[in-house]
Order: sequence, then C-alpha cells, then structure tokens
Amino acid sequence: MVRWGMVIDLTKCAGCQTCTVACKVENALGPRIQRVTVVEKEIGTFPKVTRLYIPKRCMNCKDPQCVEVCPSGATEQREDGIVVINKDDCIGCRYCMMACPYNARMFRGVERSYFDSPSKWEQRRYPEHDVGVVDKCDFCAERVDQGLANGLKPGDDLDATPFCVFACISNAMEFGDLDDPDSKVSQLIKERGGFQLLPEMETDPSVYYLPRRQGDDEENTDE
Amino acid sequence: MKKKLPTYCFQCYNGPDLFKAVVEDGLVRSIEPNLDCKDISPAEGRVCVKAYGLVQKLYHPGRVQSPLVRTNPKKGRDEDPGWKEISWDEALDMLAGKMNKIRENGLTDEDGMPKFAVIMGQAAAPTAYAGTMPAFFSAWGAIDFTIGTGEGIKCYHSEHLFGELWHRGFISASDTPRTKLVLSFGHNTNASGGVAGVMRHAWARDRGCKRIQVEPHLSISATTSDEWVPIRPKTDAPFMYAMIHAILLEMDWREVCDVPFIEKRTNSPYLVGPGGYYLRDEKSEKPMVWDPVDKSAKTFDDPTIKGYALEGAYKASGIEIGADNKIERYEDAECRPAFQLVLDHMKPYTPEWAAEICDLPVDTIRRIARELVEAACLGETVEISGEQLPFRPVAITLGKTVNNGPGGYQCCWARTLLATLLGALEVPGGTVGASQRLNKPHHDRWSSVWPGKDGFMAYPFNPTDKENWPSEPRSRAMYTELIPLVANTGWSPFLGPVPLAWFSMDPDQKELPRFKPPEVLMVYRGNPGASMYYTDLVLKRLSELPFMVSIGYTLDETNHFADLILPDHTDLEGLQLFRFGPSIHSEAFWKSYGFALRQPAVEPVVNSIDMTDLVTGLAERTGILDLYNEAINAGMLLGLRLKGSGYDYELDPKKSYTKEELWDRLCKASTMILSDGKDEHGLDWFKEHGFYGVDYPQIRYYMHPVMVRWGLRYEFPFQERIRIIGEELEMRLHDKGIHWWDPQLEEYQALPECEDFSKPWDEACVKAGKDPAEFNLWLVNTRSMQYAWGSNAAIPAMAEAAKHVAGFKGALINSTMAAERGIAEGDKIVIESPFGSCVGRAVPRQGVRPDTVVFTGQFGNWNTPFAKDLGIPNLNVLTKPDLGLLDAGGSTADLVKVKIYRKVD
Repeated sequence: MVRWGMVIDLTKCAGCQTCTVACKVENALGPRIQRVTVVEKEIGTFPKVTRLYIPKRCMNCKDPQCVEVCPSGATEQREDGIVVINKDDCIGCRYCMMACPYNARMFRGVERSYFDSPSKWEQRRYPEHDVGVVDKCDFCAERVDQGLANGLKPGDDLDATPFCVFACISNAMEFGDLDDPDSKVSQLIKERGGFQLLPEMETDPSVYYLPRRQGDDEENTDE
Repeated sequence: MKKKLPTYCFQCYNGPDLFKAVVEDGLVRSIEPNLDCKDISPAEGRVCVKAYGLVQKLYHPGRVQSPLVRTNPKKGRDEDPGWKEISWDEALDMLAGKMNKIRENGLTDEDGMPKFAVIMGQAAAPTAYAGTMPAFFSAWGAIDFTIGTGEGIKCYHSEHLFGELWHRGFISASDTPRTKLVLSFGHNTNASGGVAGVMRHAWARDRGCKRIQVEPHLSISATTSDEWVPIRPKTDAPFMYAMIHAILLEMDWREVCDVPFIEKRTNSPYLVGPGGYYLRDEKSEKPMVWDPVDKSAKTFDDPTIKGYALEGAYKASGIEIGADNKIERYEDAECRPAFQLVLDHMKPYTPEWAAEICDLPVDTIRRIARELVEAACLGETVEISGEQLPFRPVAITLGKTVNNGPGGYQCCWARTLLATLLGALEVPGGTVGASQRLNKPHHDRWSSVWPGKDGFMAYPFNPTDKENWPSEPRSRAMYTELIPLVANTGWSPFLGPVPLAWFSMDPDQKELPRFKPPEVLMVYRGNPGASMYYTDLVLKRLSELPFMVSIGYTLDETNHFADLILPDHTDLEGLQLFRFGPSIHSEAFWKSYGFALRQPAVEPVVNSIDMTDLVTGLAERTGILDLYNEAINAGMLLGLRLKGSGYDYELDPKKSYTKEELWDRLCKASTMILSDGKDEHGLDWFKEHGFYGVDYPQIRYYMHPVMVRWGLRYEFPFQERIRIIGEELEMRLHDKGIHWWDPQLEEYQALPECEDFSKPWDEACVKAGKDPAEFNLWLVNTRSMQYAWGSNAAIPAMAEAAKHVAGFKGALINSTMAAERGIAEGDKIVIESPFGSCVGRAVPRQGVRPDTVVFTGQFGNWNTPFAKDLGIPNLNVLTKPDLGLLDAGGSTADLVKVKIYRKVD
C-alpha cells in the first residue's frame, strides 16, 4: 500500500519563504492562512550561535489525533495516508486544532482580503474555499490524484506532486512513498537519519526532517 | 480552460528567471516553474518568492489606475498633489511638450548639464528592461543619469571597479558547484543571489562544501553556513591582510602557494625601480623581470626567460615611466620584484594586530588562513569542456558594506591577492567574475578581453592625462572627471560618487560644485524618496524639480512630488524580449544563452501602458521617430542589429510601428543571429515556446584559458596604473583649484595600506558635533530575499512571509545587550544617529554582536500603499553623505554609528 510522505532537508532549506507564498498563490489562501510556514530557530549564545530554518506544516500523521477528535467526520485519513478535511462536513468546531500537536491547522472564519477592498484575483479565487472551516496542508491531494489519473508519478512529475516541492528553490523537499523502501524519501530517511518532530506524541508523522549536516543537534529542532 | 504561458521574472538583477503564468478565463490564477528550461537554467526553471508575488502586484487595488496629473503646484510631503486622471494622449502630449521645449532651446544648460535626467529604479534596473527605452535615450542625446546616483552605497561598488579591472569581475562569485570552501565576508547570497544563488549553495552544502560567514550579525546566509565569525563592522580588510600575513610570512609560501600561477599569471615578478614604478626596458618600454638563471633583467615577455625571481633585490638598468609619462633613467639601480614588495608590505599586518581591531580571537584568523591553503588542492586539475584546467576549490566573496567606502579597495585587493596566491582566481572551484558591465560585450566574458599595455588586459579608464581629462563637468556627479576606474559606458553614470548625487548633495559641504536641476526628470520604477541616503534632503530636492514624470505601479514617496505619473504594465502584462544567460549577476551561470519573451498573460488590469508604446508615442511627439527607429536598426535594443548576414528586418525610419511589430522583428533577428541563419522565429513562436537559446561552453566562465591563450597576466598585485592615474588626477584637479577630493586621492596606492577603517565613522560623529563615545553602536543594513530589489514594499504576501524573518520585525539587537538596557522583545526603541532618528521595535537575538544594530531592507514608507503601515525603520533617514566616508571610487558604506534607547510614549 502506498503512504505518501515528505522529507525536508534542513541542510538545504535557506528560509526564503518561497514555499509559503507559492502555496498561498497556488491554493488561493487568504491573509494569515499558511499551509506551510518556515520558522526560524536560533540556537546558542553569542558568539557561538547558529540558526535553523524549519518548514512546518501538517504532518499527515499515520495515527492522526485530529481524525479521532473530529465530531463530524470531516477530517479523515485516506488509504494513501493523506489526512484531508471534507469542507462540506466541517462544522468549524476547531477541536482538531486543539488536538494537533504541531499547531498545523488554521481556522478560516470569514474570508479576509489583503487590501481595503478585495482584489479582482481575491474575488475570483477565494470562493474556491468554504469559510467557517478548518484549513491545512493535505499534500495537494487533488493534484496528486489528478496526476495519478493522468499516469504521472508523484514526486517526479510537477503536476502530480505537492506544489511546494517543485517551487522550493533549494530542492529541500522530496515527496514519495514511505512504504516503498526503495523510494527516494525512504532512502533519504535511512541514509541521512531522517527524524520526525515530536515522536513522543506517537502520531507517526509522514513528514521527516533530515538533520543539518554540521553543528546542530536534532533535539534543538524538536519543538 | 487553463493555459500556461511562458514568460519571465525580472524583479532582481539575477533574472530573468523563466516561469509560466497559469491563466484561466482571463485571470492569472497562479505562477509555476518552467521546467522546459530545467536543463539549461541555473535555477532549474524555478523562481523565487518574488515571482509568486507578481500576482498581487498585477491585481493590487492600490495600483495607479490611469495617468495622473498634479493639480496642486505646491510640492511637499504634507501637500496633497490633487491627482487628476487624464487620458494617455493628454499625458504623452504634456510630457512631450516639456521635452520639446528642451529640444528647442538646447539639450544642455549653461553649465553644460543635460536638461533631461533619468533615474532607473530597482537599483538602476537595466534600461534594456524598459521596453524600447534604450533606443529613445540613444535618439534623444544628452541625458544625465547621475542625479540619483546612489548605488555606491547599495551595491558592490569597489568590486565593480577593481574586479572589472583585474579580472572582468564586475560581480564576483564562488564557483559554487565545484568549490570546497567559501569564505564569505558579508556576502548575503541567500538574500541577493537570486534563485540560482540559493540553489547552487544548497547543492554545495548537500555535498559537504564548507562556508564560513564573516560578518557582524548572523545573516540569512550565515544561517546556512558552517561557521559564523562575528567580526566588528568595517574591519574585514585587517582580517584579510592578517591571513595574507599568515600565509606569506608564517607559512612557507613556496609550499602553500601556487608559485607557477604567481610567476606567469600575475605581475609579481615585474621589477619595481627606485621610484616605485616598473623598471622598463628603455627601447620597448616593457616592464622587466629578473631571470635568476641567466642573472639578468629581461622584458616580461622575453621568450628566453628561464625563470622568474620573486624575492630579493637586483641591480638593473632601465627606465621608469610615471605620471604624465615622466621618464626617469636608471643605471644599475636596485630593483625588487613586485612580490618582494608585497612580502615587505605585509609585515606589519600580523594576526595579533588584526585580532584586536576585528575583536576576534587571533587563532580564528590563523585557522581560517590554514583552511584556505589546505582546501586549495595545489597541482590538481579538472576537465571542463574537454580541456584540463587548474582546480582550486576555494573562493572568497565580499558583501556590499565590506566593498564600499573606506577600506573597499583594501578588501578587494586582499581578496584578490588571496585568490592569486592560491591560484584560485578565474579557475574551476575558485573566485570567478560573474559578469562584466564596464567592458563589452556584456554577454560573453572571453570576448570582453583584449590585450592591453604591459601584458595585461586592456581597460577603458577615463582619461587623466592633461590633454584628454575632461576639465569641464559633463554630468552633475562628475563621474568621468573624478573616477577614472568607472569608465564611461552605459553603466558608469550609476556608479558615480554618492555625495555628488544632485539629490542628496549636502548643503553644508559648500566646496562641492552646485548645478541647477534638470528641467525634466524621469523616474522609472524607482523610489529615491525612500531608498536614497539622507532622505529628508532628497524629499526637499524632489520638491524643487521643475518637472518630474514618474513611471511606476503605485503611489510612493517619490512620485508624491511628481507632476505626472504614468502607470506602466506590470510584468504579467508587458511585452519584452530580453537576454538570458550566459552569466548575469551573482550566480546565474546558465548552460545556454539566448532570449526569452515576457508576454502579456492577460489584458491590462488598469489603464496602464506598455513601455514600448509609451516610448514610441514619445518619440513621435518629440519629432525623433526617425532617430529612434534608426537606433533600433543599429542594435540599441539588446545588441540586436535588425540587418545582418542573411536577414533584413530593418524599420522604415519614418514609420511608426506597434510593439508587436517591433518585437517580432527583434525575435526574428535574435534567432537568426543565434542560429547562424538557420532558425527564424517570430513573436508568435516565442509566445508559445517562451525562449530560444544555444549552448554556452562552460569553460568560457573561467578567464584562465583566455588569459593563457593571449599570454596575459592579471594586473595584480602591484598597482602601478592605479598609482599613476591617482597622481595625474591630483595634478588635474589641483590645476583646477579643486582640493576637496584630496582625501580620496590618497587611496591611489600601488600597494594599499591597511588600517582600522571603522575610524572614519567616529570622525563623522565628531564632525557633526557629537561624541563618538555616545554613539557607540553600529547600525548595519541587511537584505532578505522577499525584498532584495523587486519594488515589493506594497505587496502584502511578501510582508506576511517576511514576518518569519526575525529582522523584518524591527531592529535586531543582541539579547544580552538588550537585557542590560532593560529592552525586551517588541519594545519600541529609538535609534538615533548624529544625523537623525527613527523608531522601531526591538528584536533581541543572540545572533548579532553586542555593538551592532541591524535593519533589514529599506522601508520607512509613508505614501506607498500597504507599506506605509508596516512601521519598519529605515537606515536612510539616519545617514548623511560625507566626503570623509567616501572612497576613491565614490562609494560609501551602508552603515552609521547610533545609540538606542527605549521610547517613552
């Protein structure tokens, strides 16, 4: 069985925020809705200091707590492991936001505009989403499905891969099948010591991080 | 129905970066990478955060909706301009009326200054990006591009001049795909190196390349480096001098340096006579070297040379040729190889000396010097394009504040000396020039090299000899008169001396020449009212202009003072062919070169205009359509002649062409030229395919092969010509009674002396009547990718993303220092310099020196939509151009001494 997952290389990420904005444009996300957020983490005391850029997002966990707490069944896990929100069923109770250990979900209360009055683009594209519902990264599930239907391979083909992966200008992200031991993501996790954030929460995230090659302690990224 | 239109982003110098606009039902839905160019693009067809912001730029409700004319004649920050919408015909007629008045009465005023002046924005965006504007400029005649010359602060100024002279490195970069060690002095690749810079360094990190970042704060680039060395601001030159000292005088340089390179590719063996100039053969006037085998002096190119003496002193006869060709004859005079002079010169600059100045452990300097030599792989070679080249995988890069102002020459000299000592200049893995801009052609490094005097590359210095030095100023910033190195090509006016920029010339510096303002100023996509030094004065000057036309997409701090605002198409609406590759700016080394099309993805969203339509309309109305068309025929656009071998697309000089007709001909000419007549592709083909390119041999990115082929040496390390032009310039200026440039003239040294270059900033405090002990913090400026060029201050998506960049929130200060002062995260603090003050939020972090404050980007907006509410402080309001802070190239550094304190409401 396939289990889609992502590997993020902390050695390569340069904190440029391209993934954040590319995702927002691709998915027509309004103000403050960020499905992927790149945070900075400073480590050490002057003069021995370094900093990490850590792209954070929904981990599409194998054992997602958000699914368990969702009272309407809107949040569900697909067979390929992706956790999706059925917006028609979401009642906006936000239990899932409380349950998520990664703070990866956002509530889209009303549709806001970046401007005093909505731009033409906002007027046309924001209605693609419902309001009063929760939003999060679903690995561009529709894109993956469409790509597969067209015979494309997720991870290799732009039109079948989460958009951020192809937008990333430092090639810091890989997408593929975690259940396939020969997939690139599985190989990277094995060879480079890929780790999950907050493993003690026992959610088995589908997003793995590759540690910085020099000078950093994995534990420092665990928050 | 979705369609994907190939186009490109040029919101920074590293562009164009090719992408696809996804369009559905007349709306640009989104932006995608263009994987069609994956194999030739240094960025693998991807674009950075700024390109995704183009969607908000296109549909920004704050865009200027149509041409605007001012109705309130009073100009001032607090004056309402009373904008009134007018038609395009009315707007162009009004502008043409002002321009025609100039043409009727003469293009220059009684001082010889052009009455028409132009400022190109986005850090002097190439005129080539402004549609057919270069052809209009060419047809027009005298234009002053210097009145806002400010790039001497915001660019890599000394590197532009010295890098171009020494190795055609207007911009220099690490050969990142091959290097093993990058030593970066404040070079902020991750912010300003474009997509290619970010990607190349990410791959380099992945394969284990080490980067050491030396700078006062942990920048975005330091974050991804292996080591951060927190040096005191403006002390980079002592650090580098001390490393040279360690290599030459503490190690065995014969073992750790690339001696064959030093002997054959530099002027190190050239004999220097008693007067400090080359000892030359009297008959041929060629510099001489000492052959230790034959024990005699020979001209540097004598085929009988059996060896080169680099050390020692020798008796030889010959002549020295000094300033104004003054000749001194010597018989059996004691001469020394230039390399011996370097050995002597570097003696005082010990690591201990530097460590105190730099406020760093002395061991750090010695260790890094050792790491450099160990990484140099002496003797190794690598195959590039079928040829074996030296492989020296160690590179040194410089940032803008390191480059500019006092110490800029020393930093460039020391960096280049380190590279030459290790044979790591212009070879695979080393420090390489990324582009040349003062020499032509711009698009091929090898072709820009031709043999000059004394075995070096030729260089187009501005003349300093008595006969040819321009004794009467030709531009308000006097760059041809004062800066021989800046040359006089298309890019030169933007590199003029900062304090002489008409906009920000300090009234207190009464000795400087004063000129009347231009009758018409055109500002293209620029905002000097926020981005230039000494902002208050700039605003005053803006209010004094007789007529200003501003071309841009929103209201801003500059066009608040304009008489006419002309909204041009944004990048997703305009039509423009543009060059891509081979190398553009920082690290954009393409595998191919050619042309790409920017095409309208949708109909214009507002009543804006394409630049080519604007320019053609202006050419018609000013009666120079024929000259304009002839300029296009002659190749003023992108260097493409419209008639050549096997093709003829020439314009009828009397006819007015649409933009589609013009660019169609240029598309065809470009493909015919690139394909040697095999392919003819017009506008429609480019609209479908996006770009056309041909392979570029990667070996041409390295100057080494062409230097070997021509038998040339780098004019390094001894700077005889620099000394001579300085001496000549001094005589010329003194003959004219000009002495205010004397401090700059002192810099023209054959071997530059080093010192603590932070001192002039304390002296500037004293000059302003302030106590340097009070203003004991450094304020430095840094870039982040979202705002590196791009004119993106009005784009909310950029701000939202940038909120995750610590510095964007306000003023970065050291956490411990902040705690000692009772300042907490988010507190409002006053940042006060001797010249002004501003308010920002405190952002305490450990990644900044305790004596340093950091601003990110340039904001301080009060009129630009959205940006005016950001409340981010601007360094420019705290500064004042000062001759005392100026180097001989005309630049000053982007920093100022300040004090900070909590703001009490």
